[in-house]
Amino acid sequence: MLGYILRRTLSTIPVMAMVGLFVFSLLYIAPGDPAAVIAGDQASPEDIARIRANLGLDRPFLVQFGEWGWRTLHADLGTSIFTGLPVTQMIGQRIEPTLSLMVLTLIFAIVVSVPMGVVAAWKAGTWIDRGIMTFAVLGFSVPVFVIGYVLAYVFALQLDWFPVQGYTPITQGLGPWLGNLVLPALSLGCVYIALIARITRASMLEVLAQDYVRTAKAKGLGQKDVLFLHALKNAAVPIVTVIGIGIALLIGGAVVTESVFAIPGLGRLTVDAILRRDYPVIQGVVLLFSFVYVLVNLVIDILYTFLDPRIRY
Amino acid sequence: MSLASDHRPAAPEGLAIAPALPDILKAIKPRTGVTGFLRRHPTIAVGGGLLLLLILVAGLAPYLGTVDPSALSPARRTRPPSALYWFGTDMLGRDIYSRVLYGTRVSLLVGFAVAILASIGGLAIGLVAGYVRWADSIIMRMMDSLMSIPPILLAVSLMAITRGSVGNVILAITIAEIPRVSRLVRGVVLSLREQPYVDGAVAAGTRTPMIILRHILPNTLAPMTVQATYICGSAMIVEAILSFIGAGVPPNVPSWGNIMAEGRALWQVKPFIVFFPAAFLSVTVLAVNLLGDGLRDMLDPRQAKGH
Repeated sequence: MLGYILRRTLSTIPVMAMVGLFVFSLLYIAPGDPAAVIAGDQASPEDIARIRANLGLDRPFLVQFGEWGWRTLHADLGTSIFTGLPVTQMIGQRIEPTLSLMVLTLIFAIVVSVPMGVVAAWKAGTWIDRGIMTFAVLGFSVPVFVIGYVLAYVFALQLDWFPVQGYTPITQGLGPWLGNLVLPALSLGCVYIALIARITRASMLEVLAQDYVRTAKAKGLGQKDVLFLHALKNAAVPIVTVIGIGIALLIGGAVVTESVFAIPGLGRLTVDAILRRDYPVIQGVVLLFSFVYVLVNLVIDILYTFLDPRIRY
Repeated sequence: MSLASDHRPAAPEGLAIAPALPDILKAIKPRTGVTGFLRRHPTIAVGGGLLLLLILVAGLAPYLGTVDPSALSPARRTRPPSALYWFGTDMLGRDIYSRVLYGTRVSLLVGFAVAILASIGGLAIGLVAGYVRWADSIIMRMMDSLMSIPPILLAVSLMAITRGSVGNVILAITIAEIPRVSRLVRGVVLSLREQPYVDGAVAAGTRTPMIILRHILPNTLAPMTVQATYICGSAMIVEAILSFIGAGVPPNVPSWGNIMAEGRALWQVKPFIVFFPAAFLSVTVLAVNLLGDGLRDMLDPRQAKGH
């Protein structure tokens, strides 16, 4: 078991190294010469060459990549071309809203979608099942910003239940913090709910057809116990897998949701960085999100061994 | 059709045989042809029909009462929908109805192109990974790494280093989609190559390229078709998102994402600018996804029971 955890953890290193190589290449082949930008309009070609040598930009690709990787490992993501601030500092300032939004969406989506999938499988073929599955198809098809605008229009502009846009730090009170995040989390959660509910239903249908479920029913166990104790536990592996994979959807969706609801988080930072072609910032955010994604899926892979004792590596 | 039969074996001595059942079952007339097919697969009918309609709209955009989608008219800015401007006008006085209709072309083009290109690329990579043992782990490690970058961020970073154009958007989304397709194809290939008929082909001396072409490729087509439909839908959403955040097709191209991006600043007072492209986008993606669900149920009836 420990050996497996260790091996699985070590296997993320080459993956992250490849991600790093990709992200670094992005900056390397990006148009625009940082040396020329720093030197300004009046600089002579010799000045630019000197600055380039000072920055080490005239060295071979692999040398530059190695140095960049070394700095990245020491949590140094470079400085923003636009603001001149360290990228880590800019990310640090923006991380709270994004983290709040994603954690809230995650909790909300799991709490809603898993019971939905269980009920749909239990009532398979009925109008309840069809209703839930129709919602799942809709959740897949309606883009997150469309849901965001509709929710904001109805619940913020028309009904005035929630603030239309913006973000309040959690330090200024739980109520205002939550109030600002309800609509973004709802819109971001839809596609995620659709995804998890669908997999939960499929996985549950498979488990409900097993002999031990029939046995559990035969020995007089209540419907709720059969569904949630016996069946759901055995259907858990695909569900947990899709929750992990779906984090990618959540990250992509957060970028858009933050634009719709004017939340000053990492997504907005990314969008601003793209519009300004601020490559170190784009690099930093992509690297951070990918790292989180790899980490979450590592944890989930390790969780399997606890969920399903049959899995031994 | 009678259940009673003349070929029943004669009853052994001392055994009573139940009398033949009366002829109560009506003959089932299987519906054939196009109508029968559509009746059996309502999601394909609805999704395919909607998609066909949208393709017509895209093709016939110039003849559907539209004007030049880029024609500025500063005197008629942000007019609400009316008999003259069916969907209203934007902040530059352009007719939103015309822009949305022409936007159908961009969305469908991006969706179809990405679906086709990602399928071809994914098929090639997946076939190689699934069939060439030594290349497998290298290729799949690379695909795993690409997959650990969330697709939208991958497309966004690719767009950041190139010029915004429809072609570049298609390329960026295709690259972001390929890893998932190749993973699917590889899985199918790995299970196919263990099939007895592949062993048979090998034993008969068929060369590897021929085996791939004749025995492996045709069997990947069913799951690929379904996957391609879903990719088409997701590519349309990603294109709209890219354009919406300003990293997609150039602003002068009327795409649904661009129209929404332009309406963003005014959405609280002029929600119709955002509403119409949003509605078209949602319906289009819904049509594509319905078609995908229908195709999946049709091509894999075993899985259909689970859904």
